[in-house]
Amino acid sequence: MGTKSILAGLALALLFSATSASAQTSKLDEVLARGHLVVGTGSTNAPWHFKSETDQLQGFDIDIAKIVAKGLFDDPEKVEFVLQASDARIPNVVTGKVDITCQFMTVTAARAQQIAVTIPYYREGAGLMLKADSSYADYDALKAAGSGVTIAVLQNVYAEELVRQALPEANVDQYDAQDLIYQALNAGRADAVATDQSSIAWFLVQQPGQYKDGGYGWSPQTYSCAVARGDQEWLNFVNTALHEAMTGVEFNTYAASFKKWFGVDLAPPKIGFPVEFQ
Amino acid sequence: MDLAQFFDILWSVRWPILSGIGVTALVSALAIIAGSFVGVFVGLALTYGVLPLRWLARVYTDFIRGTPVLVLVLASFYILGTIGLQLSAFQAGVLALAVFCSSHVGEIVRGALQAIPRGQTEAAKAIGLTFSQTFSYVLMPQAGRQIAPAWVNTAAEIVKASTLLSIIGVAELLLATQEVIARTFMSLPFYFHAGFLYFCINFSIERLGKYVEKKLAIPQS
Repeated sequence: MGTKSILAGLALALLFSATSASAQTSKLDEVLARGHLVVGTGSTNAPWHFKSETDQLQGFDIDIAKIVAKGLFDDPEKVEFVLQASDARIPNVVTGKVDITCQFMTVTAARAQQIAVTIPYYREGAGLMLKADSSYADYDALKAAGSGVTIAVLQNVYAEELVRQALPEANVDQYDAQDLIYQALNAGRADAVATDQSSIAWFLVQQPGQYKDGGYGWSPQTYSCAVARGDQEWLNFVNTALHEAMTGVEFNTYAASFKKWFGVDLAPPKIGFPVEFQ
Repeated sequence: MDLAQFFDILWSVRWPILSGIGVTALVSALAIIAGSFVGVFVGLALTYGVLPLRWLARVYTDFIRGTPVLVLVLASFYILGTIGLQLSAFQAGVLALAVFCSSHVGEIVRGALQAIPRGQTEAAKAIGLTFSQTFSYVLMPQAGRQIAPAWVNTAAEIVKASTLLSIIGVAELLLATQEVIARTFMSLPFYFHAGFLYFCINFSIERLGKYVEKKLAIPQS
C-alpha cells in the first residue's frame, strides 16, 4: 500500500469532522484575524516551489500564494509556508493544517470530492525539448522521422503511452531521474526529451540558446489551489484573488511571475468587454 | 559529472545541508533517548509486570512493531490533530519515532532480562534487596551487555526512519538534499553525498555502542 492510498484513506476518514468544524465561521475571518496566511506547498520542484541559492522558497506556486496574501493583507509577505510532500497536499487541507494548498495540483473530479478546487492558474501539458543545434527542426520533423528518433522520458507507468500519443513510432528510453533525461539529450543518446511544458520553459529560461521547444503540447492538465470543502466564502475569496491576478488589477504581478519562471510575456487582457464572456 | 562543479555547488549549499544534518541528528537523538527511556519500562513490564500490565505492554509492543513507521508518522501528525492534540510536524515526527523506538527497545530489554538466570534474582532477594535495587545493581549491568549491540541496531534504524519525516515537511537531511537537487538537477552525486552522511551518523552510533560494550564487558584477566 503506497503513501498515496494511506493518505487518501486518512483524508476520507477525517473529511466529516473537518467540514463540520469549519461550518460556523468562514476561514476568511479566521485568516484575517490571525494576520497571516498558512499555505501548504513543496520545496523540491522547479520552477513551481523550490529553494533559491539563499535558501528562500521561490517559484510560480509561491508567487500565486503571495498574490492571495496580498489580497488579504495588502502585503505579499504575510505568508507562512508549510512544507509538505505531494501526497500530503489533500490531507493537510482536509485536516486544517493549512488554509490553502498551492502545489501544482492537477485537478481531477476524484480530488474535487475531497477538497474544493479554486479556479485554475496554469494549464500544464507535455512537451518536447530538443538541443538548439538538433538536426530535427521541431515536432513535425520528429514525427516524420518515425522510428528513427529516440525520446528520453522520466520513468513512469504511463511514460511510454504518453510519448506514443505524440510520436506513435518513436523509441522511448525511460530514466530514473529528471537530470538523467537531460544528460541523455546532451550526450546525444536521445533526440529529444518529453517532459512537462513548465519544465521545458524553465530550462529555456535558465540556459538560453542551448535548447529549443518542439512547439507541440499535449496531455493537458489543470493546476489549481485547493481549500477545504464546505466554506464557500473562503473559496470565493481565493477565486476572486486569482481571477483578478489573471484578468484585473494584479495582472502585472501575475505576468511578471509568469515571465520570470516560464520566460513568456503575457498579453494584457483586452480592455472593454470582459474576456470571460467572449 | 564534473567533480569540481559538484564541490562548488556543495560549498554554496553548505548551510542548508548542515541544518538538515542538524535536524536529522536532533530528531533522531530525541527519539532514541525518549524511546530508550520508555522502552526500558516497557521491557520491565513485559518481563516482571503483573498480568494486566504485562498484557497491556504486549499489545503495545506488538501493535507498534507491526505497524510501518510511515503509518505511525502520519497517524501522529493527522489523527492526533483531530482529537485536539495539535502537534507541529517536528513534534509529531519525534513522537512517532520515539514510540517506534520504545517498542523495539522494550523487546530488546525483555530478551536481555530473560536471559539472566533466575538464581540471580533469587539471590538478590535472599540478601534483602528491593526490586529497584535488584534491577539497578544486579540485573541491569548484566542485561546491558546483551542490550548494547541490539540497541545500536535500533538506533541506526531510527536515524534511517527519520527520512520519512520529509513527507510531513520536516526539513531533515533528505528533504534538504532533495531541495538542492530540485535546483541543480544533480541527483546522483547529491543522493550519494546524503547516503555518505547517513553512514557517518550511523557509524558514530556504532562506535558509541562499541565503546559502551567495552565499558560493560567483564574484565578479562
